[in-house]
Amino acid sequence: MRVVRSLPIGVLGLALAITGAHAQETIKIGVIQPLTGSVAYNGTTDVNGSKLALDQINAKGGVLGKKLELVIEDGQCRPANSVSAAEKLVQRDKVVAISGAFCSSSTLAVMPVAANYKLPLITGVSSSAELTEKGNPWFFRATETDALLAKAFSKILYDQLKLRKVAYIGVNDDFGRGGVAEFEKQMTALGATTVMKEYFEHGTSDFYTLLTKLKSSGADGVFVAAETQDGSIFVKQKAELGLPTKVFGVGSWATPDFIKLTGEASEGIYAAVPYASTMTTPKNKAFVTAYTDRYHEAPGKYSAAGYNTINILAEAIIRAGSTDPEKLRDALGKTDYEGPNGHFQFDSKGQASGFSVVLVQLLKGVPTVAATSTIEP
Amino acid sequence: MDLFLQLLANGLVIGTFYALSALGLTLVFGLMRVVNFAHGELYVVGGLLGWALTDLVGLNFFLTLAVVIFCLAVSGYLIDRLLIARVRGQGEEPTILLTIGLSIFLTNTAQLVVGTTPEKVVSPFASKPLFLGSVVITQSRLVLVAISAALIVAVHLLIQRTTLGRSMRATFQDSMAAQLSGIRTAHVYGFTFALGAALAGAAGMLLGSIYVAQANIGNVVSLKAFVVVILGGMGSFAGAIVGGLILGISEAFWGGYMSSGYVDAIGFGLVIAMLLVRPYGLFGKHVERA
Repeated sequence: MRVVRSLPIGVLGLALAITGAHAQETIKIGVIQPLTGSVAYNGTTDVNGSKLALDQINAKGGVLGKKLELVIEDGQCRPANSVSAAEKLVQRDKVVAISGAFCSSSTLAVMPVAANYKLPLITGVSSSAELTEKGNPWFFRATETDALLAKAFSKILYDQLKLRKVAYIGVNDDFGRGGVAEFEKQMTALGATTVMKEYFEHGTSDFYTLLTKLKSSGADGVFVAAETQDGSIFVKQKAELGLPTKVFGVGSWATPDFIKLTGEASEGIYAAVPYASTMTTPKNKAFVTAYTDRYHEAPGKYSAAGYNTINILAEAIIRAGSTDPEKLRDALGKTDYEGPNGHFQFDSKGQASGFSVVLVQLLKGVPTVAATSTIEP
Repeated sequence: MDLFLQLLANGLVIGTFYALSALGLTLVFGLMRVVNFAHGELYVVGGLLGWALTDLVGLNFFLTLAVVIFCLAVSGYLIDRLLIARVRGQGEEPTILLTIGLSIFLTNTAQLVVGTTPEKVVSPFASKPLFLGSVVITQSRLVLVAISAALIVAVHLLIQRTTLGRSMRATFQDSMAAQLSGIRTAHVYGFTFALGAALAGAAGMLLGSIYVAQANIGNVVSLKAFVVVILGGMGSFAGAIVGGLILGISEAFWGGYMSSGYVDAIGFGLVIAMLLVRPYGLFGKHVERA
């Protein structure tokens, strides 16, 4: 009787041992991106970039003699969902590091989880300046902040585009409000006046009211912080109303989908992006070719972000020589990575610098580089 | 003054679109007492189908509209006969749970099939600015307002003047009596839901030609539609139109003269005020059921 009873338990133990051994064969990295919800499209392109990096790394033999594996979770750009995703990745999947979670508010919510479990967290997207000011030693940001972007571009806007009376429009979240605040600060310091400052909700489909207001404000340039969906509708409706105001956008504006959605309406608009597929570095040419072969469209800002974060993590694991969290974190701090959009290294707060940001102008559907600037440490 | 006129024009146009997208919801609720939480998702299906047919297949805009209406009507009929019929008469909660489940299913299926990319229905009408005095509008918007008005009138006539419409109203008033006088109520419920689904799909396709058709916008559409329906009165046709216009115009003026950041709060503010003052909405009937 005793034998019969303990037999299933024995089998169970054996099964666990086997799956345990199997799990050791790969090194897992967790990815939290919005795969549903209003920015799902952008999250998906980030995952596409991440997968491309993964396959390239594994084709070269993986890291530490093992294959790398991505465990992808949908954080929906909601803090609560992103935290549950992080808990699941740590507890069930035993990932060694996490890349995520797109929206700054979600990343902010995941940061304490990472610190709690002592696990490196890296974002290639979240741009709210406060994240790297939290003093969280487990957090790294491989992209620009609103403040750094504003510092790099305000002078170009003022000197070259001759913007004097500026209107600011942003999506009503930390990204939009942060972008508007930083650009307004820099532009005002240069001598420009603010004639309008408005926000709109994610998923807004009709901008006629805002545009009517923009028209009557007499602005000679409008700064817009928005993602693909909202930004494309805004630009299209601005053309419908025949407004001549210069548009300068931040967010995912130079993507192929943005251009496809806006059509002729995108002609002449300016966008500040940390990445454009028309950048001419050799690394970028190789990246664009590989990405286009696989997904049949040119990579956008977030494709590059996903690609960079996974590569930075993989290089750090190799440098650390193990997946021990402390060693991995120290190795991440010593990052010296050459990506499609330039060089990446982290300061003591985990903020990256050394890479390029570009001002592009959309001309006949092509994001043409108008000016390049390097993010200074 | 120019600003006022332009804002008024914007508000009227958007209001018509709100009315159009809420019509199917108010109809299904008014006639069937089913709160359809999958309304926005049916709108999305209509938009994506419209995009696939006009952009990928290259079909004519109006032919596509007919195909969308037909397909959504058939799906709506099947949804009622296969799903909603099973929980009919069991109170409101099972139908609510059922339609919420349906909305999740539709959103995720749409994402699986077409992905998350925003798409556009190809429209034959120009989106160049058209100046009426100092007011700017586009041809595509004017045409859409006309089509919306035509659809609203057509459905109104269908319900008020045809045998099917009379059967629908009779079934809603007293399904037992309707059944006794020879009306096949099961079919009537099916046709009513089919009509609601067809209207949602038509709205999705029409508005997809000036905004975007995208797999995950269903909940935003539902939310606005619920605001319109509560303002106008559940089940009231005139109410949906007036509710839509009120919402559109108040959003336009609030956004234009105050701040656009809190424009979505207007709709909900109006709903709270309406629930306090007239819980059955502007045109809602106080129905005492036998």
